[in-house]
Order: sequence, then structure tokens, then C-alpha cells
Amino acid sequence: MGRYVIRRLLQFIPTVLGTMFLLHYMTSLAIQFSGNPVRALFGDRTPPPALLEAITERLGYGDPCLSQKGNWCIGLFGDRLQSVFFHFDFGINLRQREVTDLVADALPFTLKLLVIAILFEAVVGIAAGVLAGLRGGSFTDYLVKISTVFIISVPIFVLGVVVREFVGVKFGNVLRGQDWIPDVISTGMFSPGFKPDYPFASLIIPGMVLGAVSLATTARLTRTSIMENIRADYVRTAKAKGLTNKRVIGVHTLRNSLIPVITFLGVDIGAAMAGAVVTETIFNVPGIGRLVTMSARTGESSVVVGVVTMLVLVVLVANLLVDLLYAVLDPRIRYE
Amino acid sequence: MRGKFLKVAVVATATAMLATACGGGGSNDETAGKSGGTLRVYNAEPAFLTPSGGDDEPSLYVIRQLYRGLVKYNAQTSAVENDLAESVESTDQKLWTIKLKSGYTFDNGEPVNADAFIRSWNFAAYSPNAQNNGYFMKRIAGIKDVQSTDPDGDGPEKAPEPKAKELAGLKKVDDLTFTVELEAPFSGFPTTIGYPGFFPMAEACVADIAKCNETPIGNGPYKIDGNWQHNVAINLVRSDSWKGDAGKPDRIEYRIFADVDAGYAAFQGGELDVMYTVPPARYKEAKATYGDRMFELAGDSFTYVGFPLYMDEFKDKKVRQALSLAIDRQSIIDAVFDGRFAPASSFVAPSFEGARPDVCKYCQKDVEKAKQLLAEAGGWPAGKKLTLWANAGAGHDQWLQAVGDQIKAALNIDYELKVNLQFAEYLETADKKKFTGPFRLGWGPDYPFMETFLYPLYGTGAGSNNSGYSNAQFDELMKAGDSAASMQAAIPSYQQAEDILGEELPVIPMWWRKEAAIYSENVDQFVWNAVADADYGATSLKQN
Repeated sequence: MGRYVIRRLLQFIPTVLGTMFLLHYMTSLAIQFSGNPVRALFGDRTPPPALLEAITERLGYGDPCLSQKGNWCIGLFGDRLQSVFFHFDFGINLRQREVTDLVADALPFTLKLLVIAILFEAVVGIAAGVLAGLRGGSFTDYLVKISTVFIISVPIFVLGVVVREFVGVKFGNVLRGQDWIPDVISTGMFSPGFKPDYPFASLIIPGMVLGAVSLATTARLTRTSIMENIRADYVRTAKAKGLTNKRVIGVHTLRNSLIPVITFLGVDIGAAMAGAVVTETIFNVPGIGRLVTMSARTGESSVVVGVVTMLVLVVLVANLLVDLLYAVLDPRIRYE
Repeated sequence: MRGKFLKVAVVATATAMLATACGGGGSNDETAGKSGGTLRVYNAEPAFLTPSGGDDEPSLYVIRQLYRGLVKYNAQTSAVENDLAESVESTDQKLWTIKLKSGYTFDNGEPVNADAFIRSWNFAAYSPNAQNNGYFMKRIAGIKDVQSTDPDGDGPEKAPEPKAKELAGLKKVDDLTFTVELEAPFSGFPTTIGYPGFFPMAEACVADIAKCNETPIGNGPYKIDGNWQHNVAINLVRSDSWKGDAGKPDRIEYRIFADVDAGYAAFQGGELDVMYTVPPARYKEAKATYGDRMFELAGDSFTYVGFPLYMDEFKDKKVRQALSLAIDRQSIIDAVFDGRFAPASSFVAPSFEGARPDVCKYCQKDVEKAKQLLAEAGGWPAGKKLTLWANAGAGHDQWLQAVGDQIKAALNIDYELKVNLQFAEYLETADKKKFTGPFRLGWGPDYPFMETFLYPLYGTGAGSNNSGYSNAQFDELMKAGDSAASMQAAIPSYQQAEDILGEELPVIPMWWRKEAAIYSENVDQFVWNAVADADYGATSLKQN
């Protein structure tokens, strides 16, 4: 087990370095081909060259390789690695703020959002899957199947905007017109986006939107898995032994059926981070996803490289944890 | 199993309720919109909250309430009125003497004296400080000595330290008096110093600029409550140290949005009282829904199509006139922009003192005259395509295509669009004068004085003169205006200069943006300042 973990951790190194280099190269190419982002800060006012140069230098876009199209900027990459790994310095954005500060500000919001999303998709998804799976061909089964197809087929950016406009604005306004509904529901939970006054309540709906797409997959995965296991020999044995239905379903069937679901949920943390880029922008959640969107729009390479590298680490760690959890759930799996 | 499902559902709902209750516990009724004194406004994330750094719209909206400067602008007429200054005077328009009112302080107790202004201006101008508003100090004598350029361009050598740390043109006379010497006479100087780049900064602020950016030490009617909550909110409360006219709301809350559509949704959901802008795609809907709660004003944000005068095709003014005559501005505005712009027929914003309509005699569509002028100029080179330039990703291709179509229909000149450059590269292309055809650019005034629309864009060798226009007579007239005895006396010279542009057409004036702001039913009186835009401190709320 220990050796396995160490081996996996060692594999992180080339993955992270590779990602960083790709990101570095892409952002450098973007600057080489679309111009110095510092110049865009001034817009129509042409800045005096001295000022432009000073600011360019300060913000870390002064390396001459950034004006040579196609240059790999290896020197710049070396500097970047050095400052990231030896000084934990991810650089600054165009507004001269440390990337580490930006991430520290944004992370709590994204974590809350992710927890809500994962909880929502796990609880509701598994519940729906179990209900559908236990009674294949029943009304519930069809309901779950059809509704999940609906959710899967709507892209998250459409779902997000539709929910914001109809649940947050239209339905929310109706709720806000009713005096008997507590504020936390009407102006908090059903707010059209994140609201600093209700830092948790206003994240519930964005979190649900973020979890919705994977919820459908979770439900379908659980359903199939339950259907398979319910016919397995050990379940029949358990029933024959005279165990209560509760125990047969809850312990024998569900536990075994959840293995693929847990794997999916673990991998989905990474996908949810990607989904957060869209959801956070739509619902104005000041988290990591919105940060990535904004910095990609303005071409802030240090932010993109820094934040995405951190995201890669999150995904790697999540995957490792899932693999370890596998062994816990399924006694047949052993890591040597 | 049914019973089981219900249980799960009940537990899930209960958990959700519990969670929401926990989340909501920390808030109070102050933000519910009815307590009267809190104005909640839309904002984007500011770049900086220091006078020396913030030069973008979201920054300025906050800085203008946190800080105050020497002069302010009249909300309706945009005339300059003294704010912290007792007087701003000069006999030769080159050496200005500024006297300050006494008794004003920063929030930390430091006095707002001559040093506070000199300190702030020097800080902004010194190029190693890398402050965006260093740009605005360009008129003050000694600016070249505090900025240094890299000797080998982008090369390995670093820019040397500038020769001087302070602007030679700023001199303190006594605690409340200082003099400003300009590089060249400028009659409009008093109008420039109302720009936030010229606001004072406390000693403690300059000593730790990063901290001052997070927790500003202002001298204005409001002070920050807590810190700048990046990407979330900026809350301002009344400042006790402010001695001037108090602001109307007790509290101003700037909610920060990354996306204007998300902001509009929040406004519709009743979470905002003022939005200074409306998402273009929702403009018609907003106008229909909010009606008299939408404030509209033909603004001073100028869009033009410039000519690369360094190219032979555009050297003859008749060609330029013909191209301008081929364009029907109003029809493009209606078709592409839902009427969010006002057609331009002059080079100076209509709201400015001294502005006149129809300075440009070639800005109304007249195909016959266009054909005739083009024929007189010898026609368009056969087979040559007209390349129209705009930056990518900002929706300019649509209207530029309409312009191209109209030119083709009127003058039978084939065109092609070159709209693939990102803004940064586009601007660099402009700086290097590498455009190969008419190009879209814009301009916004830095101060309410005609000159801001003239010299920077058309003066020989001026910073933003991207057409490469050069006219000795124009330069003469600008100089005459700059050294006129007063702001009023300068106007005739500037008008004559503008007349030259109206005939020579170095750029085609296209339109002025209409400012559109919406406000909620909580707002009693919404105030829009002709220069400083939405004035939150002056906007009052309905009290109940």
C-alpha cells in the first residue's frame, strides 16, 4: 500500500511538469500572437513608452522571447518553475495581486460549491438510481430514465442561464413578493446568483446546477449496477437466509453496487471543477472557475498557469484517493 | 420502498433547510433594501483603489466616493467648480498657483495639504512605481526626468533609474499653497485636475501602497468599511472626517460582478439599486420594463473610423470625404445597435462647452456627392480592395461589415474585413502605424475640455494620433487655444481647429455612445454627472 502510494505520488511529478509546460507554452504563444496584454490595459490612450515598459516589466511580461513568435521561452519557464517550487511564488496578475492571494480568496467559494454539488448528486442521484433499479420497468424507473436524459442533453451553460433567469429572477421575484417566506429562502437561496449576505444559501442553487449533469450519470450508473447485483447469487443467498429486506438492499446490494458510483464521483470532482468555470461565471460566484474565466479573457498567463496547475493537483489527488477508497470498498482489490 | 423514499426526501430537505438557516444567520436586515440608507450598486472588479493606479471605469466609480480632488464637475453643465481648492490661477497658463481650503483631513487624520497633492502626483509620475495614471502627469514640467526607457528596447538590459525622483514642476509654497509648472501653456489645466489621477494621497498610503489599495485611506465623503473584498463587494460608509457636502446614502455597497448579464439578473431580482450599464442584448427589454427608471444620455464616448494617412490611397481628402458620405450612420445604429448610439457629425462630444453639431459636412449620407468627389480625386485604384480593420471579439465586425456594404453599394469599392487581431495586438498595430486600411478605434475624454478630443488624436506626433495626421495650421490653432487667457477664450481657436478636421476628415466620426443606466424603485433621485458619470454619493434613496 505504502509503496503504491509513493509510486503514484512520484507519477505526479512528470504530470504536473508536463501540464505546466503546456500551459506555459500556450499562454506564451497567446502573447506572442495576440500582443502584450499590458498595452490593452491602456486602451485607446497610447501610454508613454517609459511607462508601458515599466509596467510590462513589473508584471512579468518583459521577457524578449514573448515577442518572438513560436519561441518556446524555455528560460522564462525555468524562472517560473524556480519561483513556483523554491519560493512558492506564482507571480502576479495584471492588477499586481499575487496569484496565491487570488486563489486563497477564491478557494473557499469553490469548495463550498463543490461540496454542495457532490452532495446533491450523490444523495439525490443514488436515491433515484436505487429506486429505479429496484423496480425495473416501473413508473419510477421510467421517470428517472427520462428525466436524466433531459438533464444530460442540456449543456451546463444553457441549464445555468435558464435556471438563473427562471428560478432566480422570475420564481425568486414571486417568492420575494410573499411576506411569509423567510428572507433566507426568498432573497438568499432563490437569489439570481451568489450574494455576500447569504454566502451559503445563495450557493445552493448554483451548486445544484453544477451537480445536475453528473447527477444524471450517477443515477443511471446506480440503477444499472443495482439491477445487476440484485440478481447476483449472494443477494439470493442473503434473501434465502431470511435477512430483512432492509439489510439485503442496504448492505449486500447497495454496498457492492456503489463501487463504480464512487469511482465516478471521485473522477467527477475534476469534471466539476471544469463545470465550475461555467457555473461560477453565470451565477457570479467569486471562486476559482470565475477567476480562470476572467484571466483567460484578459490573457493573464501567470494566473492561468498557476490556477490550472493547482486544479491539476486537485484532480490527481482526488483520483488517488478514489483508487485507495476502491480497496476499502472492494476486498478483492489489493495494492502491493 | 415508498416510505423509504419519503424518509430520504425528508432528510434531504431538512438538511438543506438547516444549511440555509446556518448560512443566513450572519446577515441582518440592513441589506433587505428597506432600511433606507443603503445604496446597492453594480460594479465590475476594479483594477486599483488608489488614485495613482485606478484608471478604469469600475475603479473610478469607487475612488470618486473615497477621495476628493482640487475641483469637481457640475453635474449638469460639467463646469469646473472648486472642491478642495480655494483657487487655481495662472497668469501665463504655464505656471499655475493652487491654494487649498484648510481643515480637510484624510481618514487617518493626516492633513490634506500641498504635500498630499505633490506626493501623490510624484508617486504616479515616477515610472519605476508602474502606476497607470502616470500617463496623466505628462504635462507637468520635468516628466521626462522621472521616467526612463530601456536603452535596448526589449533587450536584456533593465531600464536605468530615472534621473529625478520628483517632478521639477511641482513646488510647495506653504502648507496650503503649491505651484505647478507645465511643460507648455495649457489653459484647460483646471479641468484636468478633477480626474481621480490627481487626487491626493496620504503619507501612510504612499508608504505602503499595497495596503492602501486593500484598505484605502481616503479624504472624501465616504470611507471603506472593512477591506476591499476582492471579486465580492466593496462597502463604503460615511466618513466623519469629511468637511464638505455630505453624501446622501449612509452606506454604498458595490457588488462586484464578472459578467454584466449576471449583474442584470441580480438587478431584476431586486438586489441592486443602480446599474450604470445595461447588457447590450437586454437593452430593448430593459427599456420596455423599466421605462422611466432608465436614464439615458448621449455620452462622450466616441467611435471613429480612422484613415491610415501614411498610405497613398488616403492622401487625397476627397477620397476620405467620399467614403464618409457613403455611410448612413443612423441606419447602422438602428439595425445593429438597437439605437444605443447617437450619430456623430462633429469631433467633440455634444455635451462639451464649445461643441457644435454638423462640423463635419460630409457625415450625412449623400451618394451622388460621394461619387462626384471620388471621381474628382481620380477614382479608387481599380481592383484594389478596401481593408477595414477592427479588433476581434468585441462585436465590431458586424457594424463594420455594414459600413463596408454601404461603401460598396455607393461607390462600388470592394472591401474585406480584417477583424482577427486581439485588442492588445490591435493597439500595438495602431501604435506602430501598420494598418493597411480604415480602422475602428474609440476615444473617451480625460477631462471636460474640447482639447481632449482634438490634440491627442490629431496633433502632429500626438500619442493617440493613429492616422498620422499632421497639419501645421491645426497645430497652430491648438497652441493658440492652449495659451489663451482663459478656458472660454480658448474655445474659438479650438473650434477653428475642429473646422479644419471637418473639412480634412483624418478620421470618419461614427457615433457617440448613449449612456444607459437603470435604477430601482428604492431610488428617489438618481444623479448622473456629465463628466464623472453615475454619482452615487449624490443619489438619494426613498426614506420610509
